[in-house]
Amino acid sequence: MLSARVRVALQVLPLALVLLVFFVVPIGFVVAVSFFHYDDFGIVPAFSPENYAAVLSEHLTLDLYLSTLRFAALVWFFTLIIGFWVAYFLVFHVRNQLVAIGLFLVCTVPFWTSNIIRMISWLPLLGKEGLINRGLIGLGVIHRPLEFLLFSDFSVVVSYVHLFTIFMIVPLFNSMSRIDRSLFEAASDAGTSRLQTVLFVVVPLVKSGIVLGSIFVITLVMGDFYVVRVMSGGSRASVVSAMFDDISVLLFPHAAANAVFLIIIVVLMVGLILRAVDVRRELVDQR
Amino acid sequence: MAGRGRIDLVGLFKRFPDGTVAVDGVNLAVEDGSYCCLLGPSGCGKTTILRMIAGHETPTDGEIVIGGENVVGQPPSRRGTAMMFQSYALFPHLTVRDNIAFSLRARGVGKAERYREADRVIEQVQLAALASRLPAQLSGGQQQRVALARAIVTKPRVLLLDEPLSALDEFLRLQMRSELRQMQRQLGITFIHVTHTQLEAVAVADQVVVMDRGRIEQSSSARGIYAEPKSAYVARFMGGQNVLSGAVAEAPGAVLRLGGPRGQHFLLAARERRPARGQTVYFSVRRDRVRLARWARDGAPPDNAVTGSVKAVEYQGTYVKVTLALAMAETAVNGADEFVVYVEEGGYFGDPLGVGDGVVASWEADEARLLAGGPAAGAPH
Amino acid sequence: MTNSSGNRPWTFYALAAFFAAYVLFLYGPMLCIFILSFQGQGGALVFPMRGFGLYWFIDLFTQVRTGDVIGAIERSLPLAFIVMALTVAISVASGMAFRQRFRGSGILFYGAVASLVAPGLVLGIGIGLMFQLLGVPEHWWSSAVGAQLTWTLPFGLLIMFAVFGRFNRAYEEAARDLGASPAQVVRLVVIPIILPGIIAVALFGFTLSYDEFARTLQTSGPTNTLPLEIWSMTTNVTSPALYALGTVTTAFSFLVIGISLGAIAVIQRRRFGRALPAKRP
Repeated sequence: MLSARVRVALQVLPLALVLLVFFVVPIGFVVAVSFFHYDDFGIVPAFSPENYAAVLSEHLTLDLYLSTLRFAALVWFFTLIIGFWVAYFLVFHVRNQLVAIGLFLVCTVPFWTSNIIRMISWLPLLGKEGLINRGLIGLGVIHRPLEFLLFSDFSVVVSYVHLFTIFMIVPLFNSMSRIDRSLFEAASDAGTSRLQTVLFVVVPLVKSGIVLGSIFVITLVMGDFYVVRVMSGGSRASVVSAMFDDISVLLFPHAAANAVFLIIIVVLMVGLILRAVDVRRELVDQR
Repeated sequence: MAGRGRIDLVGLFKRFPDGTVAVDGVNLAVEDGSYCCLLGPSGCGKTTILRMIAGHETPTDGEIVIGGENVVGQPPSRRGTAMMFQSYALFPHLTVRDNIAFSLRARGVGKAERYREADRVIEQVQLAALASRLPAQLSGGQQQRVALARAIVTKPRVLLLDEPLSALDEFLRLQMRSELRQMQRQLGITFIHVTHTQLEAVAVADQVVVMDRGRIEQSSSARGIYAEPKSAYVARFMGGQNVLSGAVAEAPGAVLRLGGPRGQHFLLAARERRPARGQTVYFSVRRDRVRLARWARDGAPPDNAVTGSVKAVEYQGTYVKVTLALAMAETAVNGADEFVVYVEEGGYFGDPLGVGDGVVASWEADEARLLAGGPAAGAPH
Repeated sequence: MTNSSGNRPWTFYALAAFFAAYVLFLYGPMLCIFILSFQGQGGALVFPMRGFGLYWFIDLFTQVRTGDVIGAIERSLPLAFIVMALTVAISVASGMAFRQRFRGSGILFYGAVASLVAPGLVLGIGIGLMFQLLGVPEHWWSSAVGAQLTWTLPFGLLIMFAVFGRFNRAYEEAARDLGASPAQVVRLVVIPIILPGIIAVALFGFTLSYDEFARTLQTSGPTNTLPLEIWSMTTNVTSPALYALGTVTTAFSFLVIGISLGAIAVIQRRRFGRALPAKRP
């Protein structure tokens, strides 16, 4: 019989290996390449801060980060509001558990479709010739097609919310399902209003769900490069889409320096969030 | 040679990785084929002892000897023990028959043979009609029987039961309690049963082991533990006793004479102990062996008696529980300010007492029992 | 908010309307492209429908200009199955280990979280660089599998945390007590009890891989997976064949999910029988 220690080590070894080989080492390579020198003739291994200097001195960098963070904040706000109330409705308002699970599945089903397909599915709706403009003109509400609907910040946010709200719903649904319903009766006995109950009872109890969902949504938006491109009609860029442009012209060191920068910012953000709520404790030691 | 199912715990000690000492030097002998209850409040180490006997926990120190053989270090399946878990831990994906046949399956017994063997035990616990049900489709009492059958199909020499009745409602608990006792007689194997309920322990067990904070307080027959508690802790924990104290005034021969707090004296048999003069000792008086009378005077109470006022009266069906608040001076000495008397129902209603009435509670000298140790905190009932 | 009087509070209706609006928001656009994929030959990327038929589906699979769709599916499917199998095996094993604290458990957990939140493209670039600098050629079955695992494993692990959080360890002790070997404990007790959770991990692993784009982009080697094929089509193809591809891939995903959910339902029904439709208070 294997000792408990050896067994645990063997159980986590595959995970540790995958993370090491396909996460830690590749990130190490990105960091290494970020110090390489490049010119018109190619990339030369070196240890030079020039790429960081370039990234930091470019006016574009700040714009890209501000724009990306703005999208992240907007999308986080909308997905949190939508995700919270959808999960709340399913968990606390639908009386039959089978119906609740069925409706929950209804929310998750589109998730099984390709993100790119779901993104472009907005084109026939939002375009100048699209269903919404035609409908509004047909109803006589407007006379000329609304331009802001497609290839704008609006369509970018709509697509993000469409794609990522599920990442907020699932952890919130999970946290809310664990709330003891008698707490509601206790709260209403104590004379709290519905809104107070939500704010003072539900929100604190689903903190870990909110945190998990927020981490998902924010990092997904921060890492996106194609939604912002396609849905803004090329007029907007994000940090990663700029990186994507760099590597398509083989500017690997520049892209790598930018990537290291982005990773530091993402890790800082997630670290701050996790500092506030110990998600691991809530996930692993939940008994 | 000791019987196969005899258990000897020698210097058993368990410290958990977080530093808490769950079992603090336990020595215990359980006879082969007897029914033993480990009794104590939660956290007293009784379940840890059970799990160490089963092999689910490793002692930090000490020996566990079953049938003359030290089993420490052996895997659970080689010890000849079988455990019934607190929530039964019936495998939810297996039918009653497959649950019961599980140990045979693990041993590689063929399907036909293991089902034959399982069905034999299913008959024994009267579950034949439910053999192909899943655990979720059974009532609590039925689940308990499946757990019992699953354990005894391994033909253990010792059956370990972890709070086996705690998941049942009051009515079923009484029924299952007697079924367990019956099953133990029928099988003739050793049962070790962990519980925190005093009545459950004294109802089923040949041997009751009262534990507190990782140590054994007393181990004796059910009647012995109830009628003759050795320590104040046991007397309080088992209930049915009042614990009082006094300083030894004189010890003429086999009789101790204690000075009571209000000038009275308490007389009791010294038995094997010889406390020194002036030492404070504790003794118990059974609640149902006390006479109550009205008492309006101020002076010292008679010997072998305390005075106080009625604090509460509870009708209990066959008797009436009268709780007295003792006079102040007595409180100071006893550490407990209550004295409970069970009055026979018919006698009580001849002259019912009211709350606040002054009374004297007295007993015969041979009803008082000298206790070891101090007034350890317990759970008086 | 579940008063037994039968009268629902006004908040129920408000939230029900909100929920319905969300579902419309979720499904509306997709329904549009499903309908539009059945455009007639002269149809465009937008309404109105000009005819109705399978023209664009046939176009999708026969025209060279739309790329190698069938080849992409033939790569994406085995890729998804490989990733699914690895995700299940690795998540279940590490999920079991994470039930106790062990040295390095914190680092491993935060490593998994970091791998989940790391920008996919950056990770893809890193893996691509690693293969290039080591002189190893990239393939969908090597570098892409690894890249996708950095995304599917953390999800699998999170699901296993939830599964094992509800798993009673007494089952394992009972099995050991009854003489089961460590391998038998896992095979006869742990795996069957957590089977619905395992199927959920498999389902996630499969679809996360089948739809994975950002991490695969730089790591699939010389050939495209299906999402990469779709991506290149979005820039090259301006006909409803694009929608036809969306419809086909979605229908296929639904098929896989339907089968998996059916399997979960059958297991749950068999296990809990009549106990399943638990009523809420």
